[in-house]
Amino acid sequence: LQVDLWQPSSPFHIVEGAVADARVPQNTTRSLLPFLQQENIQYTVLISDLQQAIENQTGGRSHRNRRSLSGYNYEVYHSLEEIEDWMYYLNRTYSDLVHMFSVGKSYEGRPLYVLKLGKRSRPYKKAVWIDCGIHAREWIGPAFCQWFVKEALQTYQTDPDMRKMLTQLYFYIMPVFNVDGYHFSWTHDRFWRKTRSKNMRFHCHGVDANRNWKVKWCDEGASLHPCDDTYCGPFPESEPEVKAVAHFLRKHRKQIKAYLSFHAYAQMLLYPYSYKYATIPNFNCVESAAYNAVNALQSAYGVRYRYGPASSTLYVSSGSSMDWAYKNGIPYAFAFELRDTGHFGFLLPEMLIKPTCTETMLAVKNITLHLLKKCH
Amino acid sequence: ELPPSQFPASRASAVALGYLCYLRGGPGRGLQLRELRRARRQDIDDVGHKYYLELELEDVLDKARTVSCTAEVLYHLGSKTSAPDVQVTVQGELRSTEEADQEFYNWIRSLEKELVAENIPDSHGNVPPELEPIHLLAWVASGYLIWQNSTENTKFHLAQVKHVKQVKRSDEDLQFDYVVLLHEMVSQEVLPWQVTLLWHPQRGARVSQ
Repeated sequence: LQVDLWQPSSPFHIVEGAVADARVPQNTTRSLLPFLQQENIQYTVLISDLQQAIENQTGGRSHRNRRSLSGYNYEVYHSLEEIEDWMYYLNRTYSDLVHMFSVGKSYEGRPLYVLKLGKRSRPYKKAVWIDCGIHAREWIGPAFCQWFVKEALQTYQTDPDMRKMLTQLYFYIMPVFNVDGYHFSWTHDRFWRKTRSKNMRFHCHGVDANRNWKVKWCDEGASLHPCDDTYCGPFPESEPEVKAVAHFLRKHRKQIKAYLSFHAYAQMLLYPYSYKYATIPNFNCVESAAYNAVNALQSAYGVRYRYGPASSTLYVSSGSSMDWAYKNGIPYAFAFELRDTGHFGFLLPEMLIKPTCTETMLAVKNITLHLLKKCH
Repeated sequence: ELPPSQFPASRASAVALGYLCYLRGGPGRGLQLRELRRARRQDIDDVGHKYYLELELEDVLDKARTVSCTAEVLYHLGSKTSAPDVQVTVQGELRSTEEADQEFYNWIRSLEKELVAENIPDSHGNVPPELEPIHLLAWVASGYLIWQNSTENTKFHLAQVKHVKQVKRSDEDLQFDYVVLLHEMVSQEVLPWQVTLLWHPQRGARVSQ
């Protein structure tokens, strides 16, 4: 009969009157307990099912590291390491549809991974860019990016719309834009928003990665103070993350026809401009795309999204990625503000990941199909 | 007339909702905005800006239940120290929470050790069911803070209950000392606020100064 001794550290220290704790396999208890009773050794069962106790402690996330598309739990929030492992796994397993690459390195030296999704059906295909997690605390963003990839890979064979999308387009998906900030929101401060770059003069870290783009940089709706949450940075593209993605988007500007950025929270679908109150030249196309997308989204669970130009719908802000993408020649530039409207805010419960992602998928597919119908 | 999809009306709605949560919220009742139906703004010379709102609210604990209300929010001109004047009229009846309130009251009063909790919801959005009433009372307290501290250039929401400590009292009120994190949408700051809330099942809630 073998036991796993938890206390004391060695059998030599077991003496009369001392306490000993031991772990035994379930089936061993049948012989151990009668033996203890026989020998008049008092005992108490402290934990009757250790496996259950461990699972309860880690919650429903005990399967999150399992390496398979169906084994990966898309209804929980994942750490940066888990998301990277997941990307590596997809890259290896779905090499006909997925190509993982890096556009650069973060301030703290982490790789900035992007997944390129799509069938290599023809030499030149238009593309859609999707990024999530520009702001660290908006965890539902990266959750949606992962969900989108999962849906693409799982339904590509069975869903004609998805097949059309992946055949006619490439999708560049950046599940976590602000990797340093996201990591920091897991380890130190759940409400961190900015990047983690160090400031020379102040003791504050980080720049608002959605105020750091070179479009009317640091005008209204952004702050010049390094300690503020909307700090625009010392100069445009000062943040390596912003610079790397801007470089990539500039390089591929002729190919990329839509830019979608996912944020939380407000339940809105926004389009340019953020930095001024003015109507974009292709307003009719963009507005009708937004109107249809919001209706498609609502058809899932009745959740209402407001939509419109960011400046009048949400607030005026300058140096945003959406405005920059639009200025850079991408005809459809959108920013989603996902669920909810403030009850949970940034702390959206994991059980709402599925409905949020399901309805958002309808909006994204709607926009993509609208894009393919050529109204630019 | 204001488009409901644009931010000025939505900011005024948040103030009206905060005020209503303070007045009518409780451990068994939380209210949130389902939809802003209509909004009007009136600029009153030498006084300020007055918003007239038609809101549809939903009960957090019973999402199928909605109730309509009208609200008036007056932001005073230039004054940074004065809270907006708010009036809210609820059309119809709010679901009664008498039983749940009494149950909660009795439970807290029966505790040997004063209740202490933190991070509600936790990082993943979870709220233990027994702490939901504490969460809803935090909304009441936050409603007061939001009402008192809002301007036309701010929009506050309760981000998280950082810490809550019950303080036993010699009178019949329950006392909760909260540290809440409020998220301000325009500046994007998440900042801690201390607030003490007194609550009684029949007398309702009030913030203690």
